[in-house]
Amino acid sequence: MELALAKAAFAFYAAAMALAFLYLFYKDDKWSLWMLRLMGVGVLLQSASFGFRMHSFWLIPENRYFLPINSFFGALSYLSLAVAAVFYFVEGRHRLGILGAFVLPWPVIGLGSALIWADPKTSGLVPALQSYWINIHPVVLMTSYAAFGNAFGVGLALLVQEHQIKSRKPSELCYRLPSIEELDDLNYHIIAAAWPVLTVGIIMGGVWAYNAWGRFWGWDPKETWALITALIYAGYLHMRYVGRLRGKKAIYVSMVGFASVVFTFLGVNFLSGLHAYLSGGA
Amino acid sequence: MLKYRNKMALFRSIRFNIYVGLAIAIAAAVGTLVPQTPESPANVETFQLHHPALSHFYHFLGFFDLYHSPWFMGLLALMAFDIVLCKLWNRPPDPDVVSLPPEETKEAEAEKHLSMKAEALRLKPLKAVLVAKTPYREAAAKAREMLRARGYHLREEFSLPQGSAFLATRHRPQRWGSYTTHIALVVILLGALIKGVWGFTEMIPVLEGSSRAVQNIPQWSVHVDHFRVRYYPGTMNPSSYESDVRLTDGGKLLAAKTIHVNDPLDYQGVRFYQASWGAGGMFRKVLLEIGGKAMELAQRRAEAIPGLPFRVEADMMLPDFTITPDGRPDTASLEPKNPAVRFAFFLGKNKTRALWLFMNFPKVCLVEDEDGRLSHAPPPPFRLAGIEPILFSGIQTAYDPGYKVVAAGGILWLCGTVLLFYLHRRRLWVLVEPRRKGSKEEMESSPIRLSVGGFGSRGPKAYAAEFDSIIRAFETELSGHAEIQESRNNIQEVV
Amino acid sequence: MNLLLAGLNHKTAPLPLRERLAVLEPQKTLHQLRSEGFAEGVIIATCNRFELYALAPRNSGRGAAELSVFLERQAGAPFGPAAYRMENGDAVRHLFEVASGLDSLVVGETDILGQVKDSYFVAKDAGMTGKLSNVLFQRALFVGKRVRTETAISVGPTSVASLAVDLASRVFGNLADCSALILGAGAMAQTLSRTLRSRSAKEIVISNRSWDRAREIAAECAGSAVPWEEFPRALAAADIVIASTASPTPIVNSETVLRAMKGRMGRSLFFIDISMPRNVDESVHGLDHVYLYRMEDLEKIVAESLKSRDHAVRHAGEIVREKADEFSRWFESVRDGREISLTHSDHGDS
Repeated sequence: MELALAKAAFAFYAAAMALAFLYLFYKDDKWSLWMLRLMGVGVLLQSASFGFRMHSFWLIPENRYFLPINSFFGALSYLSLAVAAVFYFVEGRHRLGILGAFVLPWPVIGLGSALIWADPKTSGLVPALQSYWINIHPVVLMTSYAAFGNAFGVGLALLVQEHQIKSRKPSELCYRLPSIEELDDLNYHIIAAAWPVLTVGIIMGGVWAYNAWGRFWGWDPKETWALITALIYAGYLHMRYVGRLRGKKAIYVSMVGFASVVFTFLGVNFLSGLHAYLSGGA
Repeated sequence: MLKYRNKMALFRSIRFNIYVGLAIAIAAAVGTLVPQTPESPANVETFQLHHPALSHFYHFLGFFDLYHSPWFMGLLALMAFDIVLCKLWNRPPDPDVVSLPPEETKEAEAEKHLSMKAEALRLKPLKAVLVAKTPYREAAAKAREMLRARGYHLREEFSLPQGSAFLATRHRPQRWGSYTTHIALVVILLGALIKGVWGFTEMIPVLEGSSRAVQNIPQWSVHVDHFRVRYYPGTMNPSSYESDVRLTDGGKLLAAKTIHVNDPLDYQGVRFYQASWGAGGMFRKVLLEIGGKAMELAQRRAEAIPGLPFRVEADMMLPDFTITPDGRPDTASLEPKNPAVRFAFFLGKNKTRALWLFMNFPKVCLVEDEDGRLSHAPPPPFRLAGIEPILFSGIQTAYDPGYKVVAAGGILWLCGTVLLFYLHRRRLWVLVEPRRKGSKEEMESSPIRLSVGGFGSRGPKAYAAEFDSIIRAFETELSGHAEIQESRNNIQEVV
Repeated sequence: MNLLLAGLNHKTAPLPLRERLAVLEPQKTLHQLRSEGFAEGVIIATCNRFELYALAPRNSGRGAAELSVFLERQAGAPFGPAAYRMENGDAVRHLFEVASGLDSLVVGETDILGQVKDSYFVAKDAGMTGKLSNVLFQRALFVGKRVRTETAISVGPTSVASLAVDLASRVFGNLADCSALILGAGAMAQTLSRTLRSRSAKEIVISNRSWDRAREIAAECAGSAVPWEEFPRALAAADIVIASTASPTPIVNSETVLRAMKGRMGRSLFFIDISMPRNVDESVHGLDHVYLYRMEDLEKIVAESLKSRDHAVRHAGEIVREKADEFSRWFESVRDGREISLTHSDHGDS
């Protein structure tokens, strides 16, 4: 049931993404409206799927009442659900339908790769994860990752717009996308909102580590990479806020920051470490 | 003093600090790619074996213990130093942010008065001027009341030659956000420094039923009376493990507790964590089944096999049996996932054979020759029926006097970032002028000219909508109309 | 009741004839119309058209020709084939086409919608509207709006000035945050500065070799003037730069711009070079965050956009036809005294 629902949610997300791309090239508000509806159904389906996952996860008494995000499948589906829900909320309020094409690929890729490569089986939590912190620390961090994913989409839109104007052959797209400076501001505002969440999440991880292993910070690859991500975005925020440096250079820095987010989430599992908890990968 | 400041200009420059942060980020990334001695000494040795020349270079740079190398510490210290310097001496980029020390300077005072002039107000990124019928004597109070109702905090009221003026603010604590955040970072680094100087961590593996001294406090001993591990049904994945721990000083009991993962024993700030566990090579007894009859064997004690001329001895156990590439027995981990026991058979005094038998694979038997190499043997007439291994409990012992400082820094960080990023500081300068000058009476009943300048910490665009609605409210409440309305949000996008 | 229409537009009538009608005051004309015995009537008068819609009782025998004669009397000149005269269904469709911009000189332009709306309100204020004309004109406005949101008919620029300003708004968003620097004093530069002013640009700065001329133009468009020698420094503060001097050699090269960009911290700089020969060196466009559009670039984009509007026209025509038929059915049902409901379902998803 859980898998069937997740697959259905994936289908809805993919359809919504297709509509978002159509909307990019054909001005018809119908596309945007249907995109939003499909997204809504997808979010509902995936929430239900996550509910089923929670149910089967809690059949193991030790897992009660922790979130099932200890495996790749669980983490990826939570992450894509968070991105989709955040986008649904933002889109529903601000109707920035045009940005759908830049944001929706993330939940589609996230849920898709979970369905294709990750093992959906639930298993018992290892003792170190049996702490209320598992409901806080990873959730807080993944929420910030979801926001950074959105900011990355905005950054992409900015580069597209920049290219449009630079080319001297602006297409329909140019008039549909928000202006360079607006996208620049949006990128900044999302990052400014998500960065405190990231850093507080890292500090919470330190508190958990102190309670579980007796050290606040241990330069484990995962925590180190989270710190690197925070440093890169801190550099971006300083460029923007203090240096008042905007434009492409700042966008590139924020994109490097997102690359670091992806590496923290996925790549670090190839470097051994204490955070190699995510199980059931390829 | 001025000269000294200039000398420090490099360290006060944001650009330089961004580079310092970048250097820390790159160094930290390198540390995750090169094996680290404190984490995995074995990997470091392997690396050194394969890349001798590179290792020499890495060793020189301190790459094998990068995070504790002097230069990395130096970078962190430099960052802390720069932050303190920047925050104490730099003029804040946003003129409305308090400077430290937070008393308002004379210049700031002068600027404030200057900014009340209508001309200066027009220089604000958000501004509006409107004329209204409300008599001068009521207008300022009415305007103040409206702003109060909108959640504004009314600060100062001045009487200027041309009229009266006041300042209104919202979310004023936002201006402390940047300081709090940066100070929090320094506090956290300070906590780490305290730990580095006075704190310690050590791993004490204690066999069940025995004790070991704490190296950093030699008079203390940790006893593990019982160690228990439980598995998820049908798997070899532990669901929990715990130790009954006693801490003694000489013969005196200091503390006792059953410790779990995430639930340590705390004695005078020294904490004992259940960090890991495993099986060494020790066991209490094994059960060997020969011809349907079981015999109990203690470790390294040869026993005669009833009815046979042989004696047998169980001399070694590997908890997670695996074969090395050159064909020797080894263990993949310390968890008893694939336990195997080596039995030596004696005929008289001569050792005849060494056989490996497995708990999980009763049909498999491996023969070990004198060089320690393995080869397959036909299924034996006996089988390994049970093992009672002696487990060790890995007890991480840590003393971190800096933790409270770090935790305080963390809370400060939370407050600082919330102030800085989630509050939206807004400031309105309002100047009310009578349109008719003359006698006092005439002025009091005169219609007014109201100039409003706005500042928002998130920039004019983010504040424009609210600013406009305030101006519209002024228009309706004071029965006026905008003379110049140059706020930013009232232009429609072109289709 | 019969719906009658008489009118002429830029396609059917020469300018002198249209001018004769343009001077008529709609209120007065409507008044005249009332004295002729018409109870409901609306006049749409713009620089490109003059149209009179009126309703006459069915059995009165009055037709569009009579309406045309009325207008000819007002204009004091015969129209002949320059005018079109339509009744009922045809008139409805024509009105919907007008409101949709299908009948405009620049197809799809949006001003006409506002003009139709204003015309309707003028008639309403004059008491010359009733149930039928109210529904008719509200329907026309609705169709005009719908055509513009559902088709690409109003997408893209139609003039060089509006394109240049549109492009600037694709870079900066709200132009109210932008300062414009105008180099030179060409006529096109003045058109552009007027367009910028109407879009609430923050500041307009003029620099010209002749200081007096610069001050003159500055006064005209409520801007400020900067001495010619100082314009390279003004570049650092400007967002939109319009170059239209008669200089035979480029006056802005990449070196000048690079120096100006240093202080801009990545904020974009948008050049519009409408001079011939060029004032701004082409290499400027290669710099980061700097965009240079020359006259021929703008003209090419405008031409292409107008061409692509043609495709939208067919789609728009379908919507207009469908809605006109729907309205005509309702109109007839009212005439026959068995009113059917005029579907409003499409209000929901508009």
